[in-house]
Amino acid sequence: MEKILLKNIDNPDSAGIEEYIRAGGYKTLEMAVTQMTPRDIIDEVKNSGLRGRGGAGFPTGMKWQIASMDPKFPKYLICNADEGEPGTFKDRPILEKNPHLLIEGMVISAYALQSTRGYIYLRGEYPLAAGILSRAISAAYGKGYLGNDILSRRFRFDLYLHRGAGAYICGEETALIESLEGKRGQPRVKPPFPVNAGVWNKPTIINNVETFANIPYITEVGGKTYSKIGSKDSPGPKLFSVSGKVVKPGVYELPMGITLREIIYGHCGGLMEGRTLKGVIPGGVSTPILTPEKIDCQMDFVHLSKVGSLFGSGAVIVFDDTVCLVKVYERIMQFFEHESCGKCVPCREGTGWMRNILGRIGSGGGTDEDLDTLEDVAKNVAGKTFCPLGDGAANVTLAFLKQYRDEIEYHVKNGKCPVDGLPHKDNRESHGGQSAPVEQT
Amino acid sequence: MITLTINDREVSVYGTATILEAAASVGIKIPTLCYFKGLDSFGGCRMCLVEIERVPRLQTACTVRVTEGMVVRTESEAITAARRAMLEFLLINHPLDCPVCDKAGECDLQDLVAIYGAHEGRFLEGKRTHPENFNDPFIVRNMDRCILCTRCTRMCDGPQGAYAIAVTGRGSHSFIEPFSGGRYNCEYCGNCLTVCPVGAIMSRLHRHSYRPWYVEREVETVCGFCGVGCTMVLQMRGGSIIRTMPYVGEGAVTGSYGSAGSAAPAQGLNKGLLCVRGRFGYDYLENNERLETPLIRKKGILEPVTWDEALSYVASGLKDVKAVHGAKSIGAIASGRCTNEDNYMLQKLMRFVIGTNNIDSSARFYYSPAQSYLERIFGHGVTANLIPGIANADGVLVAGGDPTAINPILGLQVRALWRKRGKIIVVGTPSGLRRFVNYEIKPHPYLEEAVLGAIVTRLAAKKGFRGENDNIEKYIKATAMPGEQLLKKANVSKEIVDQAAEDLAMMKSAVVIIGPELMERPGASKNLFLVSAIAYLTDARIFLLSERPNYQGVIDMGCAPDILPGGRPIEADVLQHKIKDADVADHKIPEHKIKDTAWTKAPVRKGLNLFAMIEAALEGNLKALYVMGENPVFNFPDRRKIENALSKVDFLIVHDIFMTETARRADVVLPAAAWTEKDGTFTNLERRLQRVRSGIPTMPGRGSVSYHRGGGADKRPEWKTLAGIGRLMGMKENYLTSSDVWEEVSRVSTLHAGLSYDRIAGGNTIWPYGSEPFRGVEGEFEVEAPGMPPAMDDGKIYLLQERQLYHSGSITRKSKALMSISCEAHVLLNAGFAERCGLKDGDKVIVTTETGSLTLPVKTDREIPENVAYVPNNFDNVSPLGIIGYTVDGYLGSISLSGNVVTITKADGPSDAAAGEGYGDKKE
Amino acid sequence: MTREEMESKDNETLKDKITGMKRTYPSIQSVLMPALYAVEQSYGWLSQDAIQEVSNHTGVPAAEIKGVATFYSMYRHEPMGRHLVQLCTNVSCLIAGVEDLVKFLDKKYGLLPGGTTKDGRLSLCLMECIGACGNPPAMLVDGDAYDNLTCEAIEQILEKYE
Ligand SMILES: Cc1cc2nc3c(=O)[nH]c(=O)nc-3n(C[C@H](O)[C@H](O)[C@H](O)COP(=O)(O)O)c2cc1C
Ligand code: SF4
Ligand code: FES
Repeated sequence: MEKILLKNIDNPDSAGIEEYIRAGGYKTLEMAVTQMTPRDIIDEVKNSGLRGRGGAGFPTGMKWQIASMDPKFPKYLICNADEGEPGTFKDRPILEKNPHLLIEGMVISAYALQSTRGYIYLRGEYPLAAGILSRAISAAYGKGYLGNDILSRRFRFDLYLHRGAGAYICGEETALIESLEGKRGQPRVKPPFPVNAGVWNKPTIINNVETFANIPYITEVGGKTYSKIGSKDSPGPKLFSVSGKVVKPGVYELPMGITLREIIYGHCGGLMEGRTLKGVIPGGVSTPILTPEKIDCQMDFVHLSKVGSLFGSGAVIVFDDTVCLVKVYERIMQFFEHESCGKCVPCREGTGWMRNILGRIGSGGGTDEDLDTLEDVAKNVAGKTFCPLGDGAANVTLAFLKQYRDEIEYHVKNGKCPVDGLPHKDNRESHGGQSAPVEQT
Repeated sequence: MITLTINDREVSVYGTATILEAAASVGIKIPTLCYFKGLDSFGGCRMCLVEIERVPRLQTACTVRVTEGMVVRTESEAITAARRAMLEFLLINHPLDCPVCDKAGECDLQDLVAIYGAHEGRFLEGKRTHPENFNDPFIVRNMDRCILCTRCTRMCDGPQGAYAIAVTGRGSHSFIEPFSGGRYNCEYCGNCLTVCPVGAIMSRLHRHSYRPWYVEREVETVCGFCGVGCTMVLQMRGGSIIRTMPYVGEGAVTGSYGSAGSAAPAQGLNKGLLCVRGRFGYDYLENNERLETPLIRKKGILEPVTWDEALSYVASGLKDVKAVHGAKSIGAIASGRCTNEDNYMLQKLMRFVIGTNNIDSSARFYYSPAQSYLERIFGHGVTANLIPGIANADGVLVAGGDPTAINPILGLQVRALWRKRGKIIVVGTPSGLRRFVNYEIKPHPYLEEAVLGAIVTRLAAKKGFRGENDNIEKYIKATAMPGEQLLKKANVSKEIVDQAAEDLAMMKSAVVIIGPELMERPGASKNLFLVSAIAYLTDARIFLLSERPNYQGVIDMGCAPDILPGGRPIEADVLQHKIKDADVADHKIPEHKIKDTAWTKAPVRKGLNLFAMIEAALEGNLKALYVMGENPVFNFPDRRKIENALSKVDFLIVHDIFMTETARRADVVLPAAAWTEKDGTFTNLERRLQRVRSGIPTMPGRGSVSYHRGGGADKRPEWKTLAGIGRLMGMKENYLTSSDVWEEVSRVSTLHAGLSYDRIAGGNTIWPYGSEPFRGVEGEFEVEAPGMPPAMDDGKIYLLQERQLYHSGSITRKSKALMSISCEAHVLLNAGFAERCGLKDGDKVIVTTETGSLTLPVKTDREIPENVAYVPNNFDNVSPLGIIGYTVDGYLGSISLSGNVVTITKADGPSDAAAGEGYGDKKE
Repeated sequence: MTREEMESKDNETLKDKITGMKRTYPSIQSVLMPALYAVEQSYGWLSQDAIQEVSNHTGVPAAEIKGVATFYSMYRHEPMGRHLVQLCTNVSCLIAGVEDLVKFLDKKYGLLPGGTTKDGRLSLCLMECIGACGNPPAMLVDGDAYDNLTCEAIEQILEKYE
């Protein structure tokens, strides 16, 4: 497949504006502002069937339409570059190697949505990307692709970079908004939705990096042509970040709807010599794990939910028989506890509780009741939390309990790990680092 | 209106309602923890989960708004299971230490667990712990018990606007903390205590001495600290106060309110809020220095005597003076801290028993002159506006003081308006509004006039005249536009004045708040006229800040030399309006009770006002003075002069709750009852009449008895003592209860006609109380000729009184609680100025006037003007007022501070401020 | 320059920085996150004083700033060593053997998670995913990214950070 999102990134200068323009960049923007109305662009995006690449898969065209119908101005355009889902690093090549594709996508979107101000909310853990993006933004200002009078068309759009500081929850759009407003990044009550009352209470369109990166292409070739790529209800190219026990991990641009098997064995070179597949997380750690029989499932928003998981961010993590899934599970729960924003009770208390039980099981102190308690806690969390983070933790638990119960029970019964024959290190006491504030008296 | 179905019942509510509110409106209770009426909804505790038809997940009733045709179930097996699960989550890290938790018995968590049932403990891990934090004098923080509902932070950042606490940390590691981590260093309103549903934030004042079921008596009364008149509840045990709390609704006052889906609105004009004084300051009442028996000076020493002896001593003393020197040589000072009944009785004693109009009060400093000046411009009752209405205005002009310190709960309304994006314009530097202003115009003190004049002329130009009030328009037209030169001298930019005037001109519903500082200086009447002109031009509601709970009542009860109760001139018939027979029957008043008063005329001769009484005393013409609930030696300017004057009074009677500086010089000292110990009424600055109720059970015939301290000390209300004196001097009426006194007031005062205690009980007796409003403009008013404002000498520093949030006059120095947060005086200086003088916070300086000096630690503030030194007048040994003089404003008749130019020098010795915990006053 | 002068110069620049940031956002509170980064840089960590200073320049109440600062895990709430090692321990790095690296850091440098070496050279922070799962294990040292780590590689890399 022709590369659309990662086009030209093997070129060492791909991040520079000159190189981007040389390869045909910003042409689409010029075409859009000279030949298309904002309405046209929104229609093309709608026709394309593009679904948000941030995880939830909400149809982008529909989001734009609602926002464009809101009479309030200014409208803010926000790029969600918080990429915090463990296993996900798909936005990184765009941010670091193809930043102008993102900027072009955002400027076209701004034109379509009549937004005059945009922010890229970049996770704090990407310092390299921060430098590259701010240079790219200045360069785009320099060439008149950003600023007061873009391409001399009296169209104005300012773009700023805002750096997060280590909070996964800020990827959730309303938490992101709170964070951008300089507050604690806790999700807001919805409705009102950001499209009507988002940042600073104004209509706000939030899209993922990769979503914006699709916009120039859709604008260029038209929604219809675009929608032919990939599967029917989830069209388009998709960046898959593959990690774990495969021979060639990395970011792959592949059409939506490709099967897991093709990704793992076709593109990533399969497993290491002599290893067997034990499980795959298909879309980042908050999507339920799949057992090897499920790898013929198509990777898109529809098919993955049919097999009991979710598409998420397209972050595939592959586990072979050298990996203890109880340890992985415990680590995931540790992540959820650490990242729970603390706003709602079930997530705040439930994630910690589950992590503690798993820590105890792993280090050899499990009891017979633990599995039931885990299941019960997960059920008590599921569907009752304020935002999807807590649900993620619960669903992940239920999946591990269902599919890898034997392995967990082995730890309970034997007090040690079947993989290396030792109990896990007990790290229940401390998360070990990311500075939890110390109470002062 | 929207119609929906909740538990098979049809419910109609406004479309803005949440499911929780809709359910509450028909009495369906949905359990809640993080919800609190009046705070932004949060949706974190997940207790209020309900089922909505066709919505797959359970939804939180506190956040979801109703829609047409919605079908809701608030109880089902799944819901119960979910709620039980949430409680289990909350308890896994909870210490379960109810036996040592003061909240037990009124804890929402405990109550809900009782309803939904406890889980067997299946949490095997170690609990998260935080050490209990005792670093604050008032507030204990126990974060083990915290359920992170954030009601406290939402209160602190919302209605209170103190921004003192915040959730710190993330996820299960978060906890609530003030910035310092220890002391709160906040406004100490304690409203976080009201909203905490568990025992996480608790008062230290009653720690481990309180259980809800210990409360023997709950009394709804009115706070006695300032002129707002917040409704509050006294919780009593054994005649002593366990704690005070805001009155938050009908029904039980214990338990945290607003929660548990209660539909009851927060009650009272304070809407469930209190300030530091009301919440923590009450302990001064139980200070063991309270006066307990009457004292008579015998051979130079004040000796305890019986009540009978004291009363006859006073009566015969007064009789003797009257016989020798005439009634005109007797005077009285009434009190803004005493009830209407007390003040009425003092007035009656003076006017109708002794026969003099020599009665006044410290309301004379600014409150009553300003009030009557405003009335002459606008008509009666012009300041009778509702405090909760401030937040509904679209802008406020504040001039002359910090409402958040003088009248804190009124100040909160200004903050609320700011949050609603109203425009707040202040002239001066009220620190409590600093985060809440759009324009802070900071003229040099004494040059406010320049700013106000500039605003008036701009407003007049913009808005024109409506022709409603020729009088004021005439004067406005005569107001000269202050030159830029003058604005420059006042250190104010033309632009800010322009903008403020622009905004004022745009306001459709404006509010003008006038504070005392505007009047305490030369040119007072000009200042007052100019703010009135702004109010007139913007058609604003006017509020006059009141430092005492009952300044308005003092005036309304006729405690002024020229007016009778109800505000009529002394020439009028006392009982001008006819008693209808029906009234008499209704109220079952034996007519003889008011006979004496009713058909008598007041003495014809106009009496002496406060200042004139002092002069008369100095000249030897005032022979007897009855001082009730006032401490002139400490609270009035020019201590030397006051002491001198009092020393020339032959017969000085002081009626007070403490042995004050004034009482020490008295011939007779009579113990008084404090506002929590007697029944009666207060009239707040809105002119709302409210019932003051005694927390102490009344023993018939003996008055209220406190068996807490002093083994049966007799807390006799002042009116009773006064009536006793009156009877010994020939007054015929006998009053058994305060309501007897009040009934007489309602006969004598046209204003209060027909008002019974029953009618006042609800707190909704607001001006003009059901009688005819007489808002017509009476009489003329004069305005001091426009022209250059009084000289403000460049480079000189003026000593002014700082009005503190933590203190209220000098009574609060007896409150251990308040002293523990604000225990010493300081001198507040501009930071830049201090820096140039080489002074830092905490350095000791000597502040010297012509007549005296004080040694004080320095406190600096970037915002205040350079040429003022603010010193609070609330601490032992430190009376800035004492070392400055005063004159009387020729137009207003208010007090004008003078001789307050000070020099400030660095000191080496100890400061006067370190006067210990406010127990310096030793009885002689 | 005296210390006070230097401090006041520092303050000046922080104030200027914050003034510059204000242009980026329509509301002053939004400058908190970048301002916290800036003040952290000049103080080394977010002490009470540092937070108070941000409060002075922005008018946002100090308690609230502290609440914000402690919500995000990348701000430093304690004094740190000269160089900060941020080691990812999330799933992909975990299964690539990051636990051995943690042990190695302890053995070799006495560097424990959340701790600082005795000589004040290095501090260690264990991170959630830093988006380098393709070449695990990975870390950031003072913001420079390193991946495909082994004990030997770490030792070499850290030599550069005096
Ligand atoms: C807990 C949580 C974390 C999320 N993290 C991210 C993220 O890191 N990056 C992202 O683009 N979207 C993330 N999302 C999804 C966003 O909320 C939102 O759906 C997305 O930014 C919308 O953009 P899209 O429509 O282009 O996907 C997250 C959602 C949740 C609930
Ligand atoms: S589920 Fe609740 S606690 Fe968890 S991140 Fe969302 S809002 Fe915060
Ligand atoms: S979530 Fe509704 S009351 Fe707490």
